[in-house]
Amino acid sequence: MTKRNIDIRGWGAVTTLGWSARESAKNLITGKVLAGDFCTSSHLINRELKAFEIAYNGNPLEKAWAMIDSALTEAFSRANLTAAEISESCLLVGTTGGLFIRNEYEFTEIVRQNPGKESPPIACRNRGPGEVADAIANKYGINGMIMTFSMACVSSSHALVVAAQLLEQKKIRRAIVVGFEPLLNLTLQGFASLLLYDDEKCRPFCANRSGMQIGEASAAVILEASSSSSKRKSTYRFAGGYLFNDNNSLTSAGVDGELAGNVIGQTLTAAEISPAEIVAIKAHGTGTRDNDLSEGRGLTNVFGDNLPPVVSLKGAIGHTLGAAGAVETALWLSCLEEGMLPKSFGFTQIDPDLGFAPSQINIPAKDGAYLFTFFGFGGTCTSYIVMRNKYEHNNEL
Amino acid sequence: MNYKNKLVSSIPVVAASYLGPPLTPNLDSAWDESKLPLSPDDLVQKIMGQPMRRAGRFIKLVCCGALACLKSVPAGDLKDKKIGIFLATGLGNVDEILPFITQVFKHEGGFPRPNQFANSVSNAAAFFLAKVSEIKGVVLTVSQEELSFESALWLAQSYLERGEIEMALVGGCDVFTPTAEDYRERMDLRPDNHRSMPMGEGSSWLLLGKTSGKKIGNILAVELDHNSKVQQHLSSPENILSDVEKIAGQLIGKPNKQKIVLPGFRLTDIDHSFFKDQGWKVEDYLPHCGIHPTATAYGLARAMLSCPSAFLVHCNYHAAGRQTLVAAVTE
Repeated sequence: MTKRNIDIRGWGAVTTLGWSARESAKNLITGKVLAGDFCTSSHLINRELKAFEIAYNGNPLEKAWAMIDSALTEAFSRANLTAAEISESCLLVGTTGGLFIRNEYEFTEIVRQNPGKESPPIACRNRGPGEVADAIANKYGINGMIMTFSMACVSSSHALVVAAQLLEQKKIRRAIVVGFEPLLNLTLQGFASLLLYDDEKCRPFCANRSGMQIGEASAAVILEASSSSSKRKSTYRFAGGYLFNDNNSLTSAGVDGELAGNVIGQTLTAAEISPAEIVAIKAHGTGTRDNDLSEGRGLTNVFGDNLPPVVSLKGAIGHTLGAAGAVETALWLSCLEEGMLPKSFGFTQIDPDLGFAPSQINIPAKDGAYLFTFFGFGGTCTSYIVMRNKYEHNNEL
Repeated sequence: MNYKNKLVSSIPVVAASYLGPPLTPNLDSAWDESKLPLSPDDLVQKIMGQPMRRAGRFIKLVCCGALACLKSVPAGDLKDKKIGIFLATGLGNVDEILPFITQVFKHEGGFPRPNQFANSVSNAAAFFLAKVSEIKGVVLTVSQEELSFESALWLAQSYLERGEIEMALVGGCDVFTPTAEDYRERMDLRPDNHRSMPMGEGSSWLLLGKTSGKKIGNILAVELDHNSKVQQHLSSPENILSDVEKIAGQLIGKPNKQKIVLPGFRLTDIDHSFFKDQGWKVEDYLPHCGIHPTATAYGLARAMLSCPSAFLVHCNYHAAGRQTLVAAVTE
């Protein structure tokens, strides 16, 4: 568990809504959101699965690096980090696929360049999930601790909580937390094989939902221990987080909502915040039956009839898997900067088993506490609070 | 600027286990890269008492290695303890990913098996381990190429220091997946950046924390120096000796224990007689487990069990030049 003295110094993101968190937030708020669609990237072999694909003029491997670079550049710029500060930072990456895209791209290129010939078996040449962090550290000269969390959909949300814990313990000075997930045949086909994929649309918390749709994205969030002596005052704080792994089910957090409710309760306790103080909830909201039931019931268990506005971003950008924690945090922060909380896309009808609708209008952003929730494969749960400060608000960025 | 991440306080090691290519816990034996991978099903039956039909090799080896470690401790010593799991892996469950993706491309996405995908997800092994060992709470899968185990060990210590857990089950697992040539490429092994050894695998674990029962030693330090250094510097016996002497001096002064160097696979030049002349024994564990990303876990666990009254320093570095040192003492 973490407490409340961690500043969020900067962030950046690339989503299907834009090549920066700011552009993504503007498009989200103004409703310039395209639903998931059939993919066109040369390495994706199944054209019948809809996903949130980032447009790019180049090959998918180059795109993957461009996504990472763009998110980091925006985050470093927003945080106004010096080269020395970047160098002494710790790098925590959350990803499931890592650079597996290299295998898929190289294989499809070999097949494409050798028409009529028998395909060779696909080779696995990437160096595991840690390769992304290693490449980022080498490119940007990051010399602090480097660590990758490869934990399915909570990879980067877990990384954010661990980073805050290490900062609190003064084990590290600053954390650059990166989430990265390109579209892969591996994950698209994998979730389809589990019958967790919605062929039509991603519809979080909607009675008509029938599964998730994957999105590709990258993001970076920079955390730093607050210093009372510092002249720089941060508007946003990582005010408390909690991570927990259950061992009951590989694929479900339990549809009774008990586990999700407990995790949210622990988070509020860690942050010393009452449910009534939560301004809004950035929910995981994948659009799968089990996730939305367990999370929705968990939320109503904690908040009862006083449920704050609930927003899932996945109807607008898809499920970005291991990147979701960093991506959705960065996008949410940019929405706060724009002064507006976005509506939840993809919803049409209340699920009677849940009894609530996610937010269907944009809401003016207020100062206060925002709850973030993430639930993933393997019984993994992360939850944290981001606080916008009441008296230190500035709009310099 | 000092970019070293150091472990601050020593951690008691309650138990250890190592599992290499012979697939028998805590046993060294001759093995042959060309015969790998061996089926772990007999081991699963022996350790778990029932088969794990739907799990792949990686998941089976993670569970068997970790359970072998846990079962070496009296159950009473673990009762009601808050235990965290820190699974380190450089390459993860490649054994599940490869057949799944092959199937995807073979049939254009039509017929991959859902179980195969479920088992290929990066944290599936940690989930199965949590389930069979009945551990909930802090369960983390850490991956950082050949620094995965050292990173997990460092992180576990920070959790123990915080008091969020009372004990930490920290292990490294990577599996041999043909071909050996592809495996070497995945590990970025080039002729000049590793010791010439066959490829291998392992699932090796340490149980850390305080109990009322016996301990087998202490982890004294985990140093991760992320300042990139040139390979010749890191592999030079004189520099290695300087580093291990320095850490020995800082930690225990003049030890009255046998001093042992455990050389990681990136160290290309291991001159036993040079170290012997300086009072250090070299314990080369790689012939027993082969090269794999988390071989450090194997070397350390094996030495914790087989080298009594010793001061151990494991040395290795990442291909990019980041150095790691782990220091430990045995009872």
